[in-house]
Amino acid sequence: MKTYRKFKAVLAASVTALSLAGCSVKSDAASAESAQSTSGQIAVLAREEGSGTRGAFTELFKLAEDDKDLTKADAEITNSTAVMLTTVSQNPNAIGYISAGSLNDSVKAVSIDNVYPTVESVMDGSYTVSRPFLIAEKEGSDNKLAQDFKSYILSQSGQSIISDEGYVPIDADAVYEASGLSGKLTVGGSSSVTPVMEKLAEAYQKENPDIQVSVLQTDSTTGASGTVEGIYDIGMLSRDLKPEEESQGLESTVIARDGIAIIVNPSNSINELSKEQVKAVYTGEISDWSELLIDEN
Amino acid sequence: MIQTRRESAMKFVFAGCAAMSVLCVALICWFLFPNAIPAILKIGPAEFFFSADWAPEQNRFGILAMIAGSLCLALGAVVLGVPIGVLCAVFLVYYCPAKLYKPFSFAISLLAGIPSIVYGFFGLTVLVPLIQKCFGTVSGKGILCSSILLAMMILPTIVSLSESALRKTDPAIYDASRALGASHDRTVFYVCLPAAVSGIRSAVVLGIGRAIGETMAVIMVAGNAAIFPSSLLSPVRTLTTGIVLEMSYATGLHRQALIALGAVLFVIILVMNLYFSSRKRKEMC
Repeated sequence: MKTYRKFKAVLAASVTALSLAGCSVKSDAASAESAQSTSGQIAVLAREEGSGTRGAFTELFKLAEDDKDLTKADAEITNSTAVMLTTVSQNPNAIGYISAGSLNDSVKAVSIDNVYPTVESVMDGSYTVSRPFLIAEKEGSDNKLAQDFKSYILSQSGQSIISDEGYVPIDADAVYEASGLSGKLTVGGSSSVTPVMEKLAEAYQKENPDIQVSVLQTDSTTGASGTVEGIYDIGMLSRDLKPEEESQGLESTVIARDGIAIIVNPSNSINELSKEQVKAVYTGEISDWSELLIDEN
Repeated sequence: MIQTRRESAMKFVFAGCAAMSVLCVALICWFLFPNAIPAILKIGPAEFFFSADWAPEQNRFGILAMIAGSLCLALGAVVLGVPIGVLCAVFLVYYCPAKLYKPFSFAISLLAGIPSIVYGFFGLTVLVPLIQKCFGTVSGKGILCSSILLAMMILPTIVSLSESALRKTDPAIYDASRALGASHDRTVFYVCLPAAVSGIRSAVVLGIGRAIGETMAVIMVAGNAAIFPSSLLSPVRTLTTGIVLEMSYATGLHRQALIALGAVLFVIILVMNLYFSSRKRKEMC
């Protein structure tokens, strides 16, 4: 009986403590809400060093000088698009960047130099923050299966899969017809290209039931070196070939383009930024949202 | 005759099974150190261990910030998790009404079974915004958030090991203490708890081990900036998250440096275990 009473007392105490904590959280939340969107420190999110998305981002916003990455050292780092999206959707002060194909309603993409990232604006070149998706092969290779798969990707049916997945197709008017070939094909490389390549392979195998395509996810660099070594029949890259890779006898074909969207919280009142402003945010020159608003007016 | 031959054959089978675990450790060492040591020598041990400047693209590999990050998180998790865990075990053993014991112990064992990625997602969607609002900081991710999350994750280990340590204490000392006139509370905290201290210590060691080694949950809530942590709320990168973040892209010296990170982690855990087992041996003498 005695233990029971004691237990009740402990329970009551902990409930009181919890509700007190809850109250203080609520009042803080209210003050945070009134302060948000016009001012407040910017929470900068970046991808990990070595990632293809980060590489393209730093290059496009001129954040790389003499091989030095100018992204500020205390920027939050994540290696996953999902974490990037969740963080930005919850934090009214956050800014981040993702592949435009992964955009959803939980975050808001901002216009860069007055152009909003859409499939059309990337395709006509007005949205300049984009990168190519490539496939690479050995020069002069006579692999019939690889040629056939490539012609499928570049055909109307292949390109419509690419635009269905949210990426930007290239011009295509060729119509693909099943070749009746059989065999095995290995495709490997960039983790950014892998999801759409899997969809392409699936559709291709439906047309050619005797061909087996395996898609292996690694990264752009491995995609190139693996193709040189003959591990992959086709390599996938989410960046251009480096000169030293070209000199090893690789040739590349652009199969799609992918915009990189700069994302903020939906409650953020900022809708557009200039390239210089994005650069200043990522170098740490601008650290408060209010500085960006003044610039805009 | 056949009997003894069969017995000695089985002895070899058992010895082989026992050797497997030793073999695993040996294999890991055989992979880890031949990769790690040349990398450390190439980078320069002084730069590798005592510089906090990690910029692999520019060939700067200083891991001090990550060592500090790992130790901060382990310390934070222990500071938050051990008192709660030990007191929870005390409650379960000495105060818990019989009706409540089952749901309590079930909840704790359930806590142990949750995959770490689920903890991470919980931290990202619940703890991070909460901390951000409470402290009004730019981002809720950082040492505090990761420590709270890790404390939750090591709680089941601490509770169950402390509980079994408390239950293993000789019931006679409890009765003796009560017979001398000490109250229930006094007996629990001044007689039974000190008697179980060795078991509780091993609970803490296992907890620290889990906290240092945890990766998937921490990577989602730590902020992962490779800077020397300056406050409880600053973002932090640990040795484990440092490896996971960059492993998929790393080549050449960068990749070797990441393997060297793993070797450092291995040595830290090894030293910790050796230290505690030597203390235990001393206690026994």
